[in-house]
Amino acid sequence: MRRAGAGVTLAVLVAAAVALPFWAGRAQPYYLQLALNILIFAVLALSWDLLARTGQLSLAHAAFFGLGAYASALLVTLAHVPIALGIAAGGLVAVIAATGLGLLTLRLRGIYFAIATLAFSETLRVIAKQMRFTGGSSGLIAPPLLGGSLPAQYLFILAILVAAVAVSWGINRSRWYFAFTAIRTNEEVAGAMGVDVVRFKVLAFAISAAFAGLAGGFYAHVFLFINPFEAFSIATSVGALVAPIFGGLYSTVGPLIGAAVLRVGEEILRTKFRSGYLIIYGLILAIVILYLPRGLVGLWASMRRRGRAS
Amino acid sequence: MGVDAAAWEGLVSLLALIDITKSFGGLVAIGDVSLEVRQDEILALIGPNGAGKSTTFNVISGLTPPDAGRIVFDNVDITTRKPHERARLGIGRTFQLMQPFHDMTVLENVMVGELFGHTTPKSIAAARRDAAEVCELAGIAALMARDVGELGVADLKRLEVARALATHPRLLLLDEVMAGLTPAEAARAVDMIRRIRSGGVTVLLIDHVMSGVRDLADRVTVLNFGRKIAEGPFDAVARDPAVIEAYLGPEGGSGS
Amino acid sequence: MVIFGVLRSGLYALTSVGLALSVGVIGVVNFAHGEFLMLGAYLGYWLFVSYGIDPLLAIPIGAAALFAIGGAVFRAGIQRVLRAPELNQMLLTFGISIFLQNLAIILWTGDPRTAAVSYKATAVPLGPLVVGLPQLVVFGLAMAFVLGLYLVLGRSRLGKAMRAVAQNRVGASLIGIEVDRIYLLTFGLACALAGVAGMMVTLQLSTSPFIGLLYTLKAFAIIVMAGLGNINGVIYASLVLGLSEAFVEFYVPQGGGWSEGVFFLLILVVLLVRPKGLFRS
Repeated sequence: MRRAGAGVTLAVLVAAAVALPFWAGRAQPYYLQLALNILIFAVLALSWDLLARTGQLSLAHAAFFGLGAYASALLVTLAHVPIALGIAAGGLVAVIAATGLGLLTLRLRGIYFAIATLAFSETLRVIAKQMRFTGGSSGLIAPPLLGGSLPAQYLFILAILVAAVAVSWGINRSRWYFAFTAIRTNEEVAGAMGVDVVRFKVLAFAISAAFAGLAGGFYAHVFLFINPFEAFSIATSVGALVAPIFGGLYSTVGPLIGAAVLRVGEEILRTKFRSGYLIIYGLILAIVILYLPRGLVGLWASMRRRGRAS
Repeated sequence: MGVDAAAWEGLVSLLALIDITKSFGGLVAIGDVSLEVRQDEILALIGPNGAGKSTTFNVISGLTPPDAGRIVFDNVDITTRKPHERARLGIGRTFQLMQPFHDMTVLENVMVGELFGHTTPKSIAAARRDAAEVCELAGIAALMARDVGELGVADLKRLEVARALATHPRLLLLDEVMAGLTPAEAARAVDMIRRIRSGGVTVLLIDHVMSGVRDLADRVTVLNFGRKIAEGPFDAVARDPAVIEAYLGPEGGSGS
Repeated sequence: MVIFGVLRSGLYALTSVGLALSVGVIGVVNFAHGEFLMLGAYLGYWLFVSYGIDPLLAIPIGAAALFAIGGAVFRAGIQRVLRAPELNQMLLTFGISIFLQNLAIILWTGDPRTAAVSYKATAVPLGPLVVGLPQLVVFGLAMAFVLGLYLVLGRSRLGKAMRAVAQNRVGASLIGIEVDRIYLLTFGLACALAGVAGMMVTLQLSTSPFIGLLYTLKAFAIIVMAGLGNINGVIYASLVLGLSEAFVEFYVPQGGGWSEGVFFLLILVVLLVRPKGLFRS
């Protein structure tokens, strides 16, 4: 009974998501733009959660996002690669970087890992700012995807999100779920149970970075302008982690809900404070850690459990 | 007590440690230790605290690479093999500080071993079935759907054993399974270990509960300060003056 | 070049020693450490601009204020997650850091503020070189504070209690030390030290809401190099950072921009190669 309800809800949501551009494209471009932003954020949130499932809490997703953005922009403007291919290449570059970083940070745990990833991300930002071929601090201009048509771009990122959702959902229903959870809760014991820890950790890193890189590449060709400050900004890394924590970690639905709620909230706040609206992320992060350890999804689950008991 | 590697040929030993040395920052945890575990036996590794027993387990299971020496399992040199490879070759272990996977149920904990502890991959459904059987064997079938956070000490120990058994090991390393158990629970543990052995699993165990060791062990190896100081049947070892001195100090004591 | 590196390292040492204290005694890596520094910097700026008080003279006020703020933050939030997984602590302090940084942006805008004290441009000849007076004074004061802290840790009852707790929390409580109170005092002290460093920053450079993260990361680099919890190594590690930055600025083309990345590189290298730190005692 519950399964059927969930399936119907899902179908309705997907249909609405696909239909949105046709309705909003001409009438309400603002909402379509907002929806597009939410989708980018959702991809990023899901990608962070994927890595978090192995216990690797990265502060570096801005790095993969930025790498995707710059790689795509450079390939398209300098090598005249078709844009869609450029975006894919952006994802690939992110994967390569992540594989390297993943192998290097294998032995680092918890906060050491986080700091190392942050350092990596900031190093990339400095490099992008200093080198001339990346445009220095002025950044790069990238040609528009799909002729700048907002509805078409929206559908493009929706496709990426659907892929991310499929991967996330698939992982959670396969043996990978057991491997990831075992590694996350107790890496040494997982190894003694036969789990190839190195392989799974690096794979998680690669998959996570792939989606973050794709999101970055997409961003470059939709917003048409990237610079080191924005592409590698800590705000991206922060958003990528607050959304899943807020919405519910290690699930597919949690990051999506978190991303949607946060992005809409951010939009509302942005009208009040021109900058500094990130304050809400800090506040939410602190409140969730202190009072809502399982995020919104956990809260909902425990409310349902209590409801059933009474 | 060094061992000539050539002399190992022909013995029915499942596991052989040859001249294993491991130091941590200048402190020698185990030095030149050689021991063998014979097929189908229950061997107990005992010694006072700090003797190097846990380090030995970690070296065998692959968590701690030795500084020197070789490890041979089932005629294969596994000295450089990673932990998960050793698990798949047939070495299973429990952990002294009970460390269940805490975001999963009891059954799921056991399924990890079923899913990844074998060289041929298993489907989730098959793993679930086999894991349920292992839970039966370990006496925790009633708890399969529970969260591990709800388990008491004795049940957690059984979960540890179940998890290790799920990898269908040929050699099972039991790390202080009887510690902290009531006499009745300890007796049940002894029973379970005997049943495990008759199922074709060789057992190497560390423990301080001497009554259990005496009941179970075919042979006993004693470590002190990282060196092997005695080996043999329990009664012989218990009377060995070197062993008595290790436990009670040079003033000695009147029996153990 | 060496002189500049050394002078700079004084401030770095002061910045990091509070974090090292927090990590060593309480076991919390405070991501928001730099934000407390930033708050101290703004306090110094406002005191100067509103009342004309030289930031250096206002140090006692800053120290007291930041001690109080730090204590409040500790009580309100951090204390609750001490028993929780380490990652919760990291995320909480990270959240606090973001909150404080953006609070500053909202309250005071993102523009940098500088306290233009009268002697800002005064230079002092030091051998063959000419060195800015503020830099010299800051260095002296910073080192004085750091050494003062070492003295407190080594000689005073409070210091001994802190060291006991750092080594063994359970043991310390068994011999009658009120561990929770020590935690509170230590955290307050760490924030106070950061605040003092912040006031020096206002004097020497400018302040903006964004300097917090920068100093947090530099402090991380230093305590990672020194070995987490190793307070003695902080001075040496600060020297390494100060000198490396100066080196890059002087000898690498466009060094000014690259020196920003020096400490990232140091963090990466140390964490990957020698995670226990370079100066383990």
